[in-house]
This record gives sequence, structure tokens and C-alpha cells, in this order.
Amino acid sequence: MFLAKKNRINVFKILLYFGFAYFFWLMLRLTLEYIPAKPDISFLMIKQTEVMEHSAYLPIFYTHVYTSIFVLMTGFFAIIRKDFGLKNFHRSSGKMYIFLLVIFSAPSGIYMGWFANGGLFSKTSFLILGIFWWISTFLAFKYAREKKFSEHKKWMWRSFALTLSAITLRLWKLVIVYFFQPNPMDVYQIVAWLGWIPNILLVEFLIRKKLI
Amino acid sequence: MKNLKFILFAAVLVLLVNCKKEASVETSAKMDTAVAKVDSVVIPEIHQELYGIYTGNFSGTEKRFDEYSKEGYDEEIEKRLSLKINRITKDSVYGQSIVNGNQRPFRGVFNETENSFVLDEPGDDKTDGRFNVKIKSDSLTGKWVAYNKSRVKAPLKSLKLIKKEFVYNPNFMIDKDSDLIDWTNPKDFEEKYTDSETGKTEKYKTERNRVASDAVFKINASKQKLTEKDLKNLRKLDLEIIKNSVFARHGYSFKKETYRYFFEQTDWYIPVSNNVDADLSPMELENVALLNRFTKYAEDKYDYFGR
Repeated sequence: MFLAKKNRINVFKILLYFGFAYFFWLMLRLTLEYIPAKPDISFLMIKQTEVMEHSAYLPIFYTHVYTSIFVLMTGFFAIIRKDFGLKNFHRSSGKMYIFLLVIFSAPSGIYMGWFANGGLFSKTSFLILGIFWWISTFLAFKYAREKKFSEHKKWMWRSFALTLSAITLRLWKLVIVYFFQPNPMDVYQIVAWLGWIPNILLVEFLIRKKLI
Repeated sequence: MKNLKFILFAAVLVLLVNCKKEASVETSAKMDTAVAKVDSVVIPEIHQELYGIYTGNFSGTEKRFDEYSKEGYDEEIEKRLSLKINRITKDSVYGQSIVNGNQRPFRGVFNETENSFVLDEPGDDKTDGRFNVKIKSDSLTGKWVAYNKSRVKAPLKSLKLIKKEFVYNPNFMIDKDSDLIDWTNPKDFEEKYTDSETGKTEKYKTERNRVASDAVFKINASKQKLTEKDLKNLRKLDLEIIKNSVFARHGYSFKKETYRYFFEQTDWYIPVSNNVDADLSPMELENVALLNRFTKYAEDKYDYFGR
């Protein structure tokens, strides 16, 4: 009975790994659209106002794009807490995650949130998301330094749940467009919030239930 | 001394030849002007009052085949045709025909006693044919027969055209009571249907058509410089109509049925050319470039994983 349950959990975990691998692949492909870097490709096609008016926008945008893909990858390796026979694998990937996120990804994300599509409604969401993302990651770092690993683990999960909003936001968009075909910015305003709130609620629920 | 004589002789000879050359050039120049004069004198343009654009319906019957019943049937079709009469002389008429973005030159004759034209398209396109039309004050009516009857769906068409003055006006917009459904690009869509009595749910395939929003009545790309903010919340069809309104105002004859459908609902749209790129104002060009970028973004991103 106990074994069966453990097996089921393992199968579930493997499914999650494959799921993540698939969506990571999609995110990687989106990132590769920005190589070579150009001022007017992909998402930037509709961001030329910001590109023209704020000289900082383009370098900060590219900082976000290029670092975030590594944040997503190292975050995943850190959260599964396995060393795969490599010394300090969890620690190194975690360090990389925290460093890239706190110094580059989150600050650049907050800057971009200020110029987000969809007006005040989505700007508010992206700004809160960015700030929460930075704080949760910083706290995870702080508790690891203090060797309070139970707290470290909780904050890491919160941080990674927000990291995964990169994927969930785009998934929600797909679902909403498939069923309702709203205008592009109406979708954007919805997914700006839907991208991260269910994620953080789920993690909070799991923490309460002592599953994390 | 002998040498000197020879040189003198040679020089005179050269001079003479040169003179002759110049003389011949002069005479040929004279002849040129003479020919030109003769041309304009002998072939005067007549009936200049008939010059202009005649636009209206171009209708015929297409033979179709129904895949389901395996039977052939006739379908009435109607297109918009413009004939441009550019030059009429005693024995020749020059102009162009434009239908569905296909612009063809024609040459023909005008019969003064019957007030009728016989106009021939060149014949190197499968859609070329001969027009037989009569003119009565402002209306031009008659028929068109394809040269190669097996290569066109409707080899015999009748035309009913009215003379219209083509004027570019940046204020022209799609009519407010237009049908805004794009019937030409249906998308397959799966829908569920639950029978209220049996409670069974069935899936069935259906088609969904795109519908433009009322933004196409409000945003005019010929009058103001558009910003990204103006366009961000628009779907692809809106962007396409706003962009093509610019071309429609300049009399562009659309190859795509989608756009013809929207603009042929207006009374101002007169297709006069298959290329109006040179007529666009700098502001219109900028707006078209912006609209193209947004259309591309809508195509690449709207229903894909991404932003």
C-alpha cells in the first residue's frame, strides 16, 4: 500500500518533469527568436514607442529575455533538490538562480512592467508580480544563508511559482483565445493577473497543507 | 610641296564629308519634326468628352460542379469592372480594363454613328477577351466575350457601367451600415452540442467567420499619424481593413476578394489601378508600415504560445 502510493508519486513527478521540459522547450524557442538581437522583432514589433522614447528599454528588455531563460532552467534544477551525483549541484544551480533573478531578471521585469501593454490594469499586476518575485527570492536566499532550510524551501517554492508564471501566462492566453477570441489587449489584461495568482495560491495552499 | 598639296586635299575632303554629315543630320531632324507634325495633324483625338472611368457591374454565369450531388449547376456571379478610356482617334481607342486587381490594356475602335466601341484586350492572358459596348450619355453597356472560352469560368459577361469621376478623398471611410463579416476566410471550429432530452453530448465541426469591429469606422490612416497605442487592441481583420482603406481611397483594385467585399459596399470606391504605391502620401506610407508590423504581430502571436 505504502509502496503503491510512493510509486504513484514518482510517476506524477516524472510527468511533471516532462511537462516542464516541454514548456521549457517552448520558452527556449521564444527566446531564440531574439537571436540575433534586433530592435524590432517579435514582441518588440508592437513596442516601438517605448524603444524610441526610452533608450534604456531595449537593453533592459534584452537583459530580461536572455537571463530569464537561465533563471527558468536553474530554478527547475534547484527546486527538484537532486544532485545527480554532481557535487553541490543543488547549491550551484540555486545560487545561479538567485543571482540572475535578483540582479537581472526581476529588476528588468519590474522596469518593463511599468511600460506593460494593456494600461494601468496590467501594469499594476506586472509591478506587483515583479516585486513579489524579487522579495520571495531574496528571502529564500537569506534563509539559506541563515541555514533555516524549512523557511528557505517555502520561499523558494513561492519564488519558483512566480517564475513559472512565464509559462502559465502564455498558456492561459492560448486557452482564452481559443474559447473567446477577445481583442489582444483584453486577453493581455486578463492573463496579466491569471498568469501568477493561481500559481501563488496553489503553492500557498500546499504550504498550509504541509505538502511543501 | 607635293606633300602640302596632299594635306590640303585631305583637309578639304574631310571638311566636305563633315559638311555632308551635318547636312544629313539637319535634314533628318527636319524630317522628324515633319513626321511628328503629320502625326498630330492627321490623327487628331476625337470625342475627348468620352474620356474617363466607367465603373459598375460585370456579371455572368459560371459553370460549377457540386461535389456532393455530382451535378453541374450555374452560379450567377457579379464583379466590379472599371474601363478607362484614355484616347480616342478616328481609327483607334486606347484604354484599360480593371477587374479583381487584374489590369489589362485594350485597343479598339469607336463607331461614331452607332456610338459603340469594340475593345480588344491583348490576348496573352487567359482572362483576355473582347468588349462590345454602347455608350449613351454617361452609361456604358454591352457584353464581353473571352477569347478562350474553356479557360475562364464565365466566358460571357454583361456589363453595366456608369461614368464616374475618380477623386482621392482622405475622408472616405467604410459605410457605417456595412456588413463587417469576412465570408472568405472561414476557420474550422469544433463545437459541442448537448441534446436537452437525451443528455448526450456530441461534437461537431463548424466554421467561424471573422468579424471586424467598429474601429474600422473610427481609425483613418489617411488623415492622422497613427500610434502603436491606437492599434494595440485591434484584431488582424481590423488592421487589414484600416490599412486597405488607404489603398481603396487611391483606387486600388484588390486582388483579394476579402477586401473587395468590404469596399464594394461603399459608393465611393472606384478601382482604377493595380498599383497605387506611388500615390500614397508620406504619412500614409508610415501608417501602412506600422499597420503591416501589427498585422505581422497578430499573425505570429495572437493564437500561439507567446505574448
